[in-house]
Amino acid sequence: MQLTVEKVTLSFGGVKALSEVSLEVAKGELVSVIGPNGAGKTSLLNCISGFYHPSSGRIAFEGHDLTHASPHQVTQYGIARAFQNIELFTGMSVLENLLMARHTFGRYNLLDNLLIYGRAMRVGVENRRFCEEIIDFMELEPYRKTLVGNLPYGVRKRVEVARALALSPKLLLLDEPMAGMTLEEKEDMVRFILDIRAERGTTIILIEHDLGVVMDISDRVYVLDFGQVIASGLPEEVSRNPRVQEAYVGVDHAA
Amino acid sequence: MRNPWAQTGNYRTSYEQDTTIFANYREIVSVGLLLVALCILPMFLERSQVLVLNFILIYAIAVLGLNITTGYAGLISVGQAAFMGVGAYTVALSAPHLPFWLTIPLGGLTAAILGFIVGIPSLRVKHLYLALATLAFQEIFVWVVGRSPALAQGAAIPVEMRNFLGLEIGFRNHNYFWYYIILFVLVLMVIAWRNLLRGKYGRALIAVRDNDRAADAMGMDPGRTKLFAFALGALYGGVAGGLLAYMQRAVVVEEFTLGRSVALLAMAIVGGLGTVVGSLLGPAFIEFLRLYMERLSEWMKSNAFIQSITPAGVDVASALLPLSFGLVIVLFLIFEPRGLYNWWRLLRSYFRTWPFRY
Ligand SMILES: Nc1ncnc2c1ncn2[C@@H]1O[C@H](COP(=O)(O)OP(=O)(O)OP(=O)(O)O)[C@@H](O)[C@H]1O
Ligand SMILES: [Mg+2]
Repeated sequence: MQLTVEKVTLSFGGVKALSEVSLEVAKGELVSVIGPNGAGKTSLLNCISGFYHPSSGRIAFEGHDLTHASPHQVTQYGIARAFQNIELFTGMSVLENLLMARHTFGRYNLLDNLLIYGRAMRVGVENRRFCEEIIDFMELEPYRKTLVGNLPYGVRKRVEVARALALSPKLLLLDEPMAGMTLEEKEDMVRFILDIRAERGTTIILIEHDLGVVMDISDRVYVLDFGQVIASGLPEEVSRNPRVQEAYVGVDHAA
Repeated sequence: MRNPWAQTGNYRTSYEQDTTIFANYREIVSVGLLLVALCILPMFLERSQVLVLNFILIYAIAVLGLNITTGYAGLISVGQAAFMGVGAYTVALSAPHLPFWLTIPLGGLTAAILGFIVGIPSLRVKHLYLALATLAFQEIFVWVVGRSPALAQGAAIPVEMRNFLGLEIGFRNHNYFWYYIILFVLVLMVIAWRNLLRGKYGRALIAVRDNDRAADAMGMDPGRTKLFAFALGALYGGVAGGLLAYMQRAVVVEEFTLGRSVALLAMAIVGGLGTVVGSLLGPAFIEFLRLYMERLSEWMKSNAFIQSITPAGVDVASALLPLSFGLVIVLFLIFEPRGLYNWWRLLRSYFRTWPFRY
């Protein structure tokens, strides 16, 4: 298994956001995590990506222990994340946002940066070329030099995914990448996700409320409710599970 | 073929060009002309006028540093004068043993190490609390110097340098000699500053200021980046302080007090945070303001009429300087937060598009 989450518990004061959650993802898989609002989906991603540290349990990725790692360490192991509440650098253009993701690629030291600019320039050019490819891939060409603060919501969501992709991740964590999008934008995003997997072989964990999309594209599905995994397995197994149907009855998850 | 001299905008066609320092040939030429002008300027000035220029250029170096810590990384520092002091005292202590071209980098390095330490609170606290931490450092610095016999308890420590490459630097050409040294160092520091901000180290500063959660997720260590911003800003301050020590032939603690730190912050704000041009215009503006305010208060003190209309015990003349400083900072923050740099930018674009106005 590429990623193993083992009996992870996370609590905020008295509230248990996650209790003994276990999850396994193999290389190249597309695994979805679903569940009602407040079920703990984002908290789970926060634990994997180092923003939260579980009070018990263990998280490992390709032999690295992530349980106590900080976000920048997790990133260096090859995990990238698109945030649910867009966290872009609002004062920068789309291209600059993507270039930020290339920070750790192509090493040069401070003196190169300050005095002899040749090496820094070569690295910069290479990173720039890489980001341009991703901009083409995510069809962001018209917005290349636009400040992200000025972009419409749907496009910002796409930049968020593009920037995560610019980290050349082995594992991509997508937290509701299609929330609040129009049907057309949603279809585009589904196509991007499938292309990312097909062309790059990236492992993907997807959090999504739209059950149609989830059942359609996922290899496996985990269902969270009140911080617990209540079901997991192939999409058709999960959708037949009575506990899942129960958890979804009366819960408005159209958002 | 497009005429490169006539271009009025950004015509960059490759990635390399897009990351160069200068946008077009005109910019290269104007920077070249500015440098030539600065090189021949002292020939038309008197010794005392060159001294004013020297102060301005030294403060420009310190303000460039402040523009890294505060302007780019967004970490407020009211201790830049103390970092200058660290550089100056390092020079004063090492000048008898080392050549001057070693003592100045050494001053910068010592200041950088202290900057790193002073930056540690920035890992936990933000904004006003961080300003208080740097304020504490500023006050501790003055306090420690005032109580160190090795540092003459803040009284003048002479810094001698009589010869350069076997040539004697006489009293008459002292200011001129140091003008060129300071100018040379300033040019180096500006180049490094520009390089920094188009490379990944500089981009990390901006990223952490803009959104530290996202920066973290991009693989940047926000804590390390903040410490780096403090250290580098302090390094600029230390170098400026070292130059000041040689230029004044002595180090006194009065040069490095809280008032000076505030003045440096004022220079950065008035000039326009985060710009090279602003780092030059700000110090020039504040220094000339200080000069004229001092003259004005001298005049007020000697003028019988003004003395007769001011109530007894009220010293308007001495209050003039801090009053004008405060007023200028407030006015700029309210009406032109982008500083003098913005005026310069508007002026430039006016001339560039002349005679068309759009
Ligand atoms: N920083 C925090 N402090 C306190 N409580 C938190 C914090 N983050 C999450 N929680 C709580 O943890 C629980 C799970 O929240 P989480 O954001 O993981 O849910 P989610 O499944 O992502 O929901 P949504 O579908 O609305 O995004 C919620 O009850 C929430 O209030
Ligand atoms: Mg969530």
